[in-house]
Amino acid sequence: MSVSPQPAMPKSWRVESKPHKFCPGCGHGLVLKCLGEAIDELGIQDRVVFGCDIGCSLLSWDFFNCDSVQTHHGRTTPVMTGIKRANPDLICIAYMGDGGGYAIGVGGIVNAAARNEKVTVILANNTVYAMTGGQMSPCTMPGQKVETAPYGRDPEATGMPTQGPEMIAAITGDGAYVARGTTANLKQLKSYIKKALQTQMEGKGFSFVEALAACPTNWRTNAEKTWAFVEKEMPQYYKVGEKKNPFEAKKEAQQNG
Amino acid sequence: MGKLKPQKDWRWFTISKRIVEAYVGEYASGKSEVAVNRALELARAGRKVNLVDLDIVEPCYTLRPIKKELEETGMTVLAWETRDTVGLGEAGNIIKPECRWALYREGDVILDIGYGVEGAKTLNLLEGVEETPELQVLAVINAKRPMTSTVEEILDYIKELGPVHGLINNTHLGDETTPDIVQEGARVVSEVSNILGIPVVATTADQKVTKQIGPQDCMGNTVRPLVRYMPRTFW
Amino acid sequence: MSEKPITGEKRAFMTGNEVVAWAALAAGADIMYGYPITPQNEIMHYWTRQIPKYGRKFLQTEDELSAGFTTVGGVLAGLRAFTATAGPGNTLMQEPMSMAEMMRLPTVTIVQQRGGPSTATVIYSQQEVTLTTMGGNGEGLRIVYSPSNHQELFDYTIKAFNTAWKYRFPTFVLGDGYQAKMRESVTLYDPAERGIEMVPTEKYVGKPGTPGVDRDPGHYRNTYNTEEELFEVLQKHFADYEKMAPEVVEYAQEAVEDADLVIVAHGVVFRGVRDAVKELRAEGLKVGYFRPITLRPFPAEQLKAVANKAKKLLIAESAQGQLARLIKDAIYGASAEIVPMFRPGVGITTEQIVAKVKEAL
Repeated sequence: MSVSPQPAMPKSWRVESKPHKFCPGCGHGLVLKCLGEAIDELGIQDRVVFGCDIGCSLLSWDFFNCDSVQTHHGRTTPVMTGIKRANPDLICIAYMGDGGGYAIGVGGIVNAAARNEKVTVILANNTVYAMTGGQMSPCTMPGQKVETAPYGRDPEATGMPTQGPEMIAAITGDGAYVARGTTANLKQLKSYIKKALQTQMEGKGFSFVEALAACPTNWRTNAEKTWAFVEKEMPQYYKVGEKKNPFEAKKEAQQNG
Repeated sequence: MGKLKPQKDWRWFTISKRIVEAYVGEYASGKSEVAVNRALELARAGRKVNLVDLDIVEPCYTLRPIKKELEETGMTVLAWETRDTVGLGEAGNIIKPECRWALYREGDVILDIGYGVEGAKTLNLLEGVEETPELQVLAVINAKRPMTSTVEEILDYIKELGPVHGLINNTHLGDETTPDIVQEGARVVSEVSNILGIPVVATTADQKVTKQIGPQDCMGNTVRPLVRYMPRTFW
Repeated sequence: MSEKPITGEKRAFMTGNEVVAWAALAAGADIMYGYPITPQNEIMHYWTRQIPKYGRKFLQTEDELSAGFTTVGGVLAGLRAFTATAGPGNTLMQEPMSMAEMMRLPTVTIVQQRGGPSTATVIYSQQEVTLTTMGGNGEGLRIVYSPSNHQELFDYTIKAFNTAWKYRFPTFVLGDGYQAKMRESVTLYDPAERGIEMVPTEKYVGKPGTPGVDRDPGHYRNTYNTEEELFEVLQKHFADYEKMAPEVVEYAQEAVEDADLVIVAHGVVFRGVRDAVKELRAEGLKVGYFRPITLRPFPAEQLKAVANKAKKLLIAESAQGQLARLIKDAIYGASAEIVPMFRPGVGITTEQIVAKVKEAL
């Protein structure tokens, strides 16, 4: 097969499974590119086990030249936890969407976070259940029209969107790394993912990165409106930044003497 | 299966002061059996006896099913009746409130303590332990249990229990028990007794086996026959 | 750390749950993942008491979904991983075990059945037969052993790890609350000393070398794009299962040759049946028993042969016909009349069986 890799393709990506199967404009490709580059830069391709959830994230099951397991909806965190507990030398990454992470899989995430499991969870937040056709997800914005809230999400009836990183930061112990990045700032997102993986590599604690990501297909948006939603609207509710950083905490402690 | 008809048998005790004994030991070591037999023996001697179920770990083998029958001998049994409880083992094993104050009762008190990581710390659930100097904590040992089968294992186990005043050799293999098995246990438990300086209060065994052994085991410990009630208590 | 848990043969007085924990130790199980539920708790209690000595591991999860999925993870990492559950926990356990079926992961699950449906009672039942043999959204691609005493609980727990890793199907040991809590003697042994070789495990993830450079990456999935693709995958699984079945099927039968009536029972109920047959034969009645030891795969041919000879099959179970469904499926077309003795959630004594047989004869 004569597939020529694009120049910018991370080394850990699997050429044979490209072009990938995500929709044009989908945020997953960008998050996975940041992840791929982080894996390359940290030199851990031989140690990574990548787990993906159900929903669009499952399309990444053969995305990397890394051992990979496609699990059940919401069950990627416990599968990766099980692997990590069995073989602590591996770097276990659980990849999922906001439905898999904050709805059906929230029990797994919350308890893995509370136990400070040495795994990394990367969660793409695109505000909808995308693969099933655009239903309301835990992260659907107030007023946002989706298939199961056709008149817009009414917080009175369905509650406010889940603030994942804030929740995880509150329940993890010392050593955990928690951040919210965005596909609108890939350099920053990659640095967050890299720090998350370093947290695991150094055995500090649970690491968690939410990435604001686009779903133009279900949002029914053109490029301009897609970008505006990710860059302008989502951060109004979902504040980008690091919520817990063991590396900073260490630095601060040193500075404070 | 034993019948609970009162019968005069004075062999088991000669003292007249208040008797307070807590039976502790490994899971399935025979604590409840030894405790029930002891309580019956005291009751048959005409003493006022309170038998207290403090097993908060195991919902299956407890005194509940034979409570009424035991009470007919004149003793007081502080234990739930199965129908008074809901979802045993599901909602946790709830301590019957009056058990907590059992030590303040008049007469002898025989406490059946469940196993568990905290072992004899279950005694902390009782009020008045410090005001009860006559309290004897007796560790029931079955040397045919895999985690208490050697002197070293038993020493380790007793160390975790907290204060223990006496040992009871209850070594057995269920229906397969022979005098040899009991005597082997007697040797192991007696060695533990020597090392720790804690007396062996008795060797206990099924009536059939004790008949073959006689009044003393090979180490000179008093042999007490047991009537087996607990198989009937399996929920 | 690598000290063996058992050396030489050791006769011990134990509860069933402890037996399971010791069997797992003896089998070289590396890690247990579990969530508390009565009546399996002492498996965890005794596993956790023992493991520091032998360098094994334990993780208490937040529910049975995670207990099952972490077990799946442990197997993916190449360890002999197991879990234990019961009742409503077994219901949740079916989701991870269906993943294990699809991906051919050799998980081992101990089920100590309790009453159902729902929370029901905590101690005893045989009402998880359908769930354990055919649970999940699938085709029952699993192995289920039904032991009837402590020795078998020990033997079959060890065997479960070997069957699972040899054939790569999730394997269950289906006990019950009686067996879990009951006390009786058992001979503990080291499998190697009895010539039982433990089937080696294999890593699915984390093999040496860099994927894509030194070796292909392990890419594992349970999702398929087309009906044809799924059909093909399943045909391979079914073929493997059928090939395996005769090697794995186990049963016991006695006095069936000339029997007018054959009692069929499994697990702890079989204890009463065995004694009942002895008693009835002593009275000169032509009664035998057939006992499936594997409920999946089921000893279908063997039972069908019996069902074509005997006039009646008395099916005794502590459930409302769950074993009976397996039997009817297996003996379809056979001539024997089926006599049910269904006592869901309650025990069955020898006396009750004897009385029922006399009534049916």
